[in-house]
Formats: sequence, structure tokens, C-alpha cells
Amino acid sequence: MVLDTFLITGLFNVVMLIGLALLLHLQLGLTRIANFGVVGFWGVGLYTFGVLYVRVDWPFEDPIQFVVCAVLATAAAGLCGLLIGWLIADLDVDGVLVGTLGFATAVAILATTEQGLTGGARGMGGLRFPYDSGDVAVNELIWLLVLVALVAGILAYVWLVHRAPYGRLLIAIGSNEPLARSLGKPVTRTKLGLFTITSALMGLLGVMYGVMVRFLEVSSLGIEVTLATVVGLVVGGSVRVLGAVVGVLLTVGFFDIVIQSYLPLPAEWYTQTIPLMREVLFGVALILVLVFRPLGLLGHMRRDRLMKRIHGG
Amino acid sequence: MVAESGTAVRADLPHRTMPRARLTVTDVSKSFSGRTVVDVDSLTLGDHPIEGLIGPNGAGKTTLMRLIMGSLKVDSGKIRLEREGRREIELSRLPAHKIAQSGVVKSNQVITDFEGLTILDSLLLSVTPARREHPLHLAGERATYDEHRAAIERQLDDFGLEDSRRVALSAGEKKLVDIIRCLLLRPAVLLLDEPTAGLPGEVTRKVMDAVEKLAADGTTVVIIEHDLAVIWRLCAQVTFMAEGRVLLRGEPSDIREHKTVVESYLGQGHV
Repeated sequence: MVLDTFLITGLFNVVMLIGLALLLHLQLGLTRIANFGVVGFWGVGLYTFGVLYVRVDWPFEDPIQFVVCAVLATAAAGLCGLLIGWLIADLDVDGVLVGTLGFATAVAILATTEQGLTGGARGMGGLRFPYDSGDVAVNELIWLLVLVALVAGILAYVWLVHRAPYGRLLIAIGSNEPLARSLGKPVTRTKLGLFTITSALMGLLGVMYGVMVRFLEVSSLGIEVTLATVVGLVVGGSVRVLGAVVGVLLTVGFFDIVIQSYLPLPAEWYTQTIPLMREVLFGVALILVLVFRPLGLLGHMRRDRLMKRIHGG
Repeated sequence: MVAESGTAVRADLPHRTMPRARLTVTDVSKSFSGRTVVDVDSLTLGDHPIEGLIGPNGAGKTTLMRLIMGSLKVDSGKIRLEREGRREIELSRLPAHKIAQSGVVKSNQVITDFEGLTILDSLLLSVTPARREHPLHLAGERATYDEHRAAIERQLDDFGLEDSRRVALSAGEKKLVDIIRCLLLRPAVLLLDEPTAGLPGEVTRKVMDAVEKLAADGTTVVIIEHDLAVIWRLCAQVTFMAEGRVLLRGEPSDIREHKTVVESYLGQGHV
């Protein structure tokens, strides 16, 4: 095997967080929807998929069972996005932050208390890959490649959005909602549509994660996923297409793969010290970037260059 | 201050009888914290190509425009848009973006812009149809530019904005971009709130020329302006507001010499 399980898992987390950060880039970077409940939508996908896959007695088997459950879980996350998006549509940034954080907290509480469905704090097993190569490591590697393809698709979509009138509309709404309205732009509907689609895709990434870990734990619904996504995006540059990629690689990638895989750290550190150190370092990185380079490492949006590339001049 | 020839030019406009959109304001009131800032019984805008709205600060002019545009909601009353051959629209029941879609557009008194967007972006935004701003329609950028390229470049040339692939930097540029956005939309009704404030004299003249041309093509234009030379030159009808109410309406020559206007707004000795 070229990659060991530890490295595959680390890479999977990095790629998944790049996907989440790219989606947050559309929400926060372009449209200024300050979603601090990323883990909530991701968790709805994760747990809806898990419950449907494990608890429901489907009349068909994988891969159809996986596809049906994944589609339903993605739709559930999108539906939550629609509902939460509607509730926060007219709130200011502080209200959106609190609203989305509250939603994520509600999801974590539901996953913990609905023990009959989710297994509660004991967790829930029974998930598996929708295929079987006969080797767990190979299954994980294949699943990593599937995720890479999915996130590459998200990256390509974001890249195209920047070059399309839709992207310009998102930037305009994020920059000046009243002015966009005065030009006849349906601001609320556009924000709702974006929030629904991106929340659904966050849910799909949760589905991917559930299959990879094959055991659902409510501890995964803590602040860590949101924090890693936000820190990665802000460090890289929230308004640039590649900001999410660069930021997550430099933060989560550097810490979870380079430091944990290649530095000879004491074994006892892995239980408590390293996770704590991770959050501290992420916090420090966030503060340093906000103080010394508020727009992130990649800086301004540079629409001037983009317009010249597209339209000449 | 007043160009006497302005009235003569205005009277000669052949489009004066052209059917054009009319705004009717009926029993509209708006209060903030118990203080009534707009209280208009009846006002019709659009009987003339270009009409002026004047009055001292706090008269309610800008608030009335914001009520028309839906960025503020009326407390009571109705604002309607009438266009020949089309169904009457009650603007005061519509959200702001629907009002703009119905053909009523406003340039802003306060300088406002889209941070991060270039001048070209900003202009393309105003002319891009909704079907091209769909999340699954990601290939419409070139087509939109090609369709509107001539109109955009003409406006940019007219106003001397040479490099549109950059963000607007000065307040004057942002103001100009705001006005060009409105002009490109070729609206049924164009509300201009102090369009020349902060613009150099030469650019002001170009803006006024563009507004006159738009009016000649059938747009109803309503201007709020403290530079009264602009009002006297362009407008065939002037409404005078004070303390939220419409006090006078009439031709510029009547309004500028009316005792109430002179005492409460223009001051003695105005020209």
C-alpha cells in the first residue's frame, strides 16, 4: 500500500475541509453570509445518512442503498439550509453568526438526545463503503479519490462562478444589498438559493465523512469542523478562489499531516495534547492573519485582472 | 444663476406630449419616532419629461423618493405607476427589487458602490438579465458583454471613463458609475437625487445632456437638486416641498418667484 491508513484519513480530512471552505467561500467570501454553523449542515448530512442507512430496512442493497440515502441526506441538509437561510435572511452579521451557531448546537443536541435513532453518546456503527475491494485500506483509498473528485468538482464550480454573472451578483449582494435591490436584483431569493445549495453540498461532504469513518460520534459535531473551515478560509483569503485551498493546506494540512505524521511526537500527546495544541495554533494563526493580513495570504479579489482576462483591455 | 434660454429649449422639446410613465402618490405618509417626515395628499409626477423636486433640507424629498423605490415602506397611502398600454402597478405593495424591475430606477444621493467590483462589473450587473444570473447558468458573461458592449462603451466615452477594468476610486467616479448604471437600464421612470453633487462642472453638463436625451427618448425623469440652475434649466414642472408636504407645483418661472419659496428656501436676493 502506498499510503497508510493514518495518512489516508489525514488527507481525507484535509480534502473534505477544503470542500467545506470552498462552499463557505461562496457564502462568506462572496455573499457575506457569516455562516458559523458549518458543522450543523455537515452534521445533518452525516447523521441523516447514518440513520437512513443503518436504521431503515431498504428493499435494495448497495450501491443503490448508498445513493438513495446520500441523496436524501443531501436534500435534508439543503432543506435545513433553506429554513435557516430564510430565518437569517434579514439579520445583520451578528444575527447570522448567532443563528447559524445556534443551529449547529441544536443539531449536536439532537444527535445526542435522540438515542433511539443516532445511538446518542454511545455512537452508531453499521456504516460501510458502497463497494468492497476486499481490503479496507484500498476501500479507504478509493473513497479518498471519490472525495477528491467531488471537491475538484466544487472547486471547478467556484472557479466558474467567479467568471459568471452569477458570481458578480453574489459579490454585489455581499457588498451592498440595498444597491443590488435598487437595480432589480432579487437579493433574498439569491441568498436563499445559494445558502440552500451550499448547505446541501456541506451535507454531502458529511455523508462522505460518515462512510469513511463508518462510526458516528456526537463528538464530531463540536466546533472543530467549523473552526478548521473558517480558519483555513480566512488564512488563505476568503475572497479568492484558491484561498480555501491554500488556507486549509497551510493550517489543517500542515498540522494534521506534516506535524502529526512526520514529527516524532510522544505517543501520549495524541490523546489530549495534540488536539488542544491544534486549536491553540489555529487560533494564533487566525489572530496573526487578521492583524497583519486581514484579507488573508492571497489578498484582494482582483476583479480588475479577471475582467481584463475575460473581456480584454 | 438661471439660464433664461433653458426654458425656451425645454418648451421646444417635441416629445413633451409623448406618452410616458406617471407616478401618482396618494395620501402617503411616513413617520419616524412619531415625527411625520412625509405627508403627501396627492402628487402626480410624469406629466412632463423632466420634473424637479425642491425644498429645504428635511423637506422629505429624499424620503419620498425612497418610499417610491420601496427602500422605505409607506405607513399609509398608495404609490402607483401608470404606463400606457400596461396594467397599473401599485408600487407601494411591491418589494424594492420588483419596483426596479417594473422600470423605476433611482440614482443615489449618498455615494454608494459595490466594493470589489470594477466599473465594468458594475455596469454589466445593471444590464444582465435574471436568467443569466442563475446558479447553474455559468456561461453568460461573454454574451452579456457582447450584447451591451456598444452601449456601455458609448457611455464610458461620453463621460470620459477610459479604463473600466478597474474599481472606481474617487467619489465623483462612483457617482458617475451610479448614474451610468441608471442610464443603461433605460428606465420608464428615473429618479435622480442630487445627481450633480460632487461632480465637476464639465461632467455635470454631460450628465444633464444625457438626462435630457433619456427624457427625449420617453423616460420620465424626476430630479432633486440643490443646484437650482440645473432645475431651472431642465425642468418643465417643479414641486416645492417643506416639512414633508407638497406646498407648491408649477412652472419654474412661477415657483422661483413665489413668496413662500423665496422666504423659506431661496432667500431674498436670489436670481
